[in-house]
Amino acid sequence: MTKQVDSFRFVSKGTRRVAKTWIDSAEPKEIPWTPLSKPLSECRVAMISTGAMALKSDQPFDQDGERQYPWWGDPTYRVIPKRTKAEDIKVYHLHINPEFAERDLNCLLPLDRLAELEESSEIGSVAPSHYSYMGYTTQPEQLLEESAPAIIRNLRDEFVDVVVLVPA
Amino acid sequence: MGLLQREIEAAGFTTICLSIIADLTASVSAPRIAAIEHPFSLTMGYPGDRETQLAVLQATLKALVEMETPGELRHLPFEWPEHLADVASGPPESPPITNYLMKHPLQFKKLLTRGFPEVRI
Repeated sequence: MTKQVDSFRFVSKGTRRVAKTWIDSAEPKEIPWTPLSKPLSECRVAMISTGAMALKSDQPFDQDGERQYPWWGDPTYRVIPKRTKAEDIKVYHLHINPEFAERDLNCLLPLDRLAELEESSEIGSVAPSHYSYMGYTTQPEQLLEESAPAIIRNLRDEFVDVVVLVPA
Repeated sequence: MGLLQREIEAAGFTTICLSIIADLTASVSAPRIAAIEHPFSLTMGYPGDRETQLAVLQATLKALVEMETPGELRHLPFEWPEHLADVASGPPESPPITNYLMKHPLQFKKLLTRGFPEVRI
């Protein structure tokens, strides 16, 4: 039998209640669509993680802001270069366990695995830049109005074809 | 993350969103969704489990290639290993909003209705 994923298997009771209420009240919208224009083996692939990870040399995500204003989440993003390893980053998301990705980045941003797919020619190439933002976005306006256009500009500049988004 | 995915797809990129709460991602009309039954913090698999991480990525990209209908959702076949069923996938400390709602339970309604107080920092 084909597996049916249970959306709530790993979700706490409170989060489940919130998610179900949001799902029930959602209005369907027109869905944007860009068909794949060439074989995957010729595509450049970038990834985006909601894990709020940043290079140790980069500015941290604002955890104190969220501690002070619990309804707020940092709406900015960070670039994670393609050769980044776990020891180069820190995970700032206050709603997940940061330990796993800080031990093996591939748990949340599988850069080594994507490089293997380039090696085996399953994809064309790994994009030079990947991205991370903070998945606790109660107010997505700033993310969509400021971070999204900046990420899109960078994706264009680096001739990316395919984007894989990985939740944390 | 479906909201960001929509922006990127609309800008001319082919996108797929892996999702742990796929029903929620689908509710924002995301273009392509690959549902996965893995815990938070461990979306691609456990640290060092190269085989699972690679298989999840391959299955996600395969779904992206094969999907032809906007909004399509595919259930990925991965089973989280039994011996890791109780893995600590949550944060080491309660998130600020959880602590706040423990102190102000009546505010929970704001979360349900998305009536969040507007904060800009």
